[in-house]
Amino acid sequence: MAAARKSARRAQVERLITYPIDWIEERSGLIGGLKYFLLRKVPGDTGWFHTLGSATLTAFIVQAVTGVILAMYYKPDPDKAYESIRFITDDLTLGWLVRGMHRWGASVFIILMFFHMARVFLFGAYKYPRELNWILGVLLLVLGMLEGFTGYLLPWDQTSYWATVVGINLNGTAPFLGPFLVNLLQGGAEIGSETLTRFYALHMLVLPGAIAGLIGLHLYLVIRLGVSSPPWSPDAAGADRAEPDRPTVRKGLTQPGRRGGYAR
Amino acid sequence: MSRRLDERRSAHQRYKQDVGERGKPFYPFAMFHDTVMSLVVVSVITALAVIWKVTANEEPDSSGWLGVLYGEEADPGTTNFIPRPDWYFYFLFYLLRIFKWPESVILGTIGIPTILLILLFALPFIDLRRERRLLRRPVAIVAAILVVLSMGVLTYKGATAEEALGTTLVEAVPEWAQKQGFEGDEQALAGGRLFAASGCGQCHIYLGLGSPNLGAPELTEIGNGDRGIDYFRQYVANPREFGNQVMTQYGEEFGGSLNDDQLRQIATFLDASKGTKE
Repeated sequence: MAAARKSARRAQVERLITYPIDWIEERSGLIGGLKYFLLRKVPGDTGWFHTLGSATLTAFIVQAVTGVILAMYYKPDPDKAYESIRFITDDLTLGWLVRGMHRWGASVFIILMFFHMARVFLFGAYKYPRELNWILGVLLLVLGMLEGFTGYLLPWDQTSYWATVVGINLNGTAPFLGPFLVNLLQGGAEIGSETLTRFYALHMLVLPGAIAGLIGLHLYLVIRLGVSSPPWSPDAAGADRAEPDRPTVRKGLTQPGRRGGYAR
Repeated sequence: MSRRLDERRSAHQRYKQDVGERGKPFYPFAMFHDTVMSLVVVSVITALAVIWKVTANEEPDSSGWLGVLYGEEADPGTTNFIPRPDWYFYFLFYLLRIFKWPESVILGTIGIPTILLILLFALPFIDLRRERRLLRRPVAIVAAILVVLSMGVLTYKGATAEEALGTTLVEAVPEWAQKQGFEGDEQALAGGRLFAASGCGQCHIYLGLGSPNLGAPELTEIGNGDRGIDYFRQYVANPREFGNQVMTQYGEEFGGSLNDDQLRQIATFLDASKGTKE
């Protein structure tokens, strides 16, 4: 009697938990998608090398979160920008930590993008059918470096100001597009309030939006196509099967083919 | 061609089959690795921020292990400052010093970076072989080593590049006057000091001082050629008029920092720069 009541209560609690999950699943299919994402199979020899992509994503999330907090206190105006950075660093509670994490997280993000790209290159993981994902990755690298360029001006100190002068002049040397690019970035005859607001808008709206969207596509393709096994792995997924009935494969009696006639 | 495509398609089919038969679920196996790595990333970022703050605070005079918390406020007027990008642009920054203006500066600023970027985008269409084992991809190995080496060297050179501050240049003005023979000319002397203080040495070399940036020409002997003071005055005020899109417009009427008297002084100085007598 008591046991039956207990199990009835248990079923009630279970219903309480599963009801909202089922409700969402029925109306969106998102729970099924999440299940597919988590329980999809990856090659058995997937290891630490394959964590560089998600590590880069983590660095981007750190940049996004700290960036939002900084945006609450930063003032994109040549007369106030420097003072607002000083305020964030010296006066705001833990402001130095948020700004420090954003400032150094940028470098970590760039380094991880390069490491991730090096891994993909060395594994030959950009080959068919993953060409498109390589292109998305290169685009992300370019946008990430543009984030670095536009963010560098925002503290409005001497280093950032003069580096941006050089950077904008550098764009000016482009054939045909040069003067247009300078105008677009600078927004006036010299680097001033127009430039700062333009860099601010690019740095915290246009570029992060584009990066987030491209990361979504990048991940979609990773899940759709799967990750590559390390090429040196004896158990690499998708490796060539030697035809088992051909005698040359077994290389005599001393070197039997691995796993019953499959040479990998 | 289509045989190669068939091979690649069947290889991917084998991949899917192998993963299905012998693969491991992403959760919890791969996700464990990802989570540990992400924690390491967040810890490293936090540690960098803490080291930056703590070491910079301990000694207010020095810049700390990771540099100052913030530099001096931007001052468009006095350009007595060395422009320095963040470290990941050092290789571009140094590339600019290798190519001299005006014939080849475009190679450093746009040419080489654009070519490299196109190659990077096109990589999957250049390397069409199915082979993934590194030892059987000699071209890829050599390319990777060359890229890493050249990026490393350029970044290192960019990081250690010495540049003269405006204050150092100002001290050299009397020496310039003596070598160039304009000691008696007050206008040219004032122009020399302005030249030093206005940041011209950030891109131009003058008697061995300054830095060759953005491919700007050496100005030691610029006064040869009878261009005249008015020419220099107009050029410095608005280089765009002369087809130069790189140099800053220094004239006040173009949003620059120099008024007409100052422009005239700099122009006199440049006109008096005939190069040291052999």
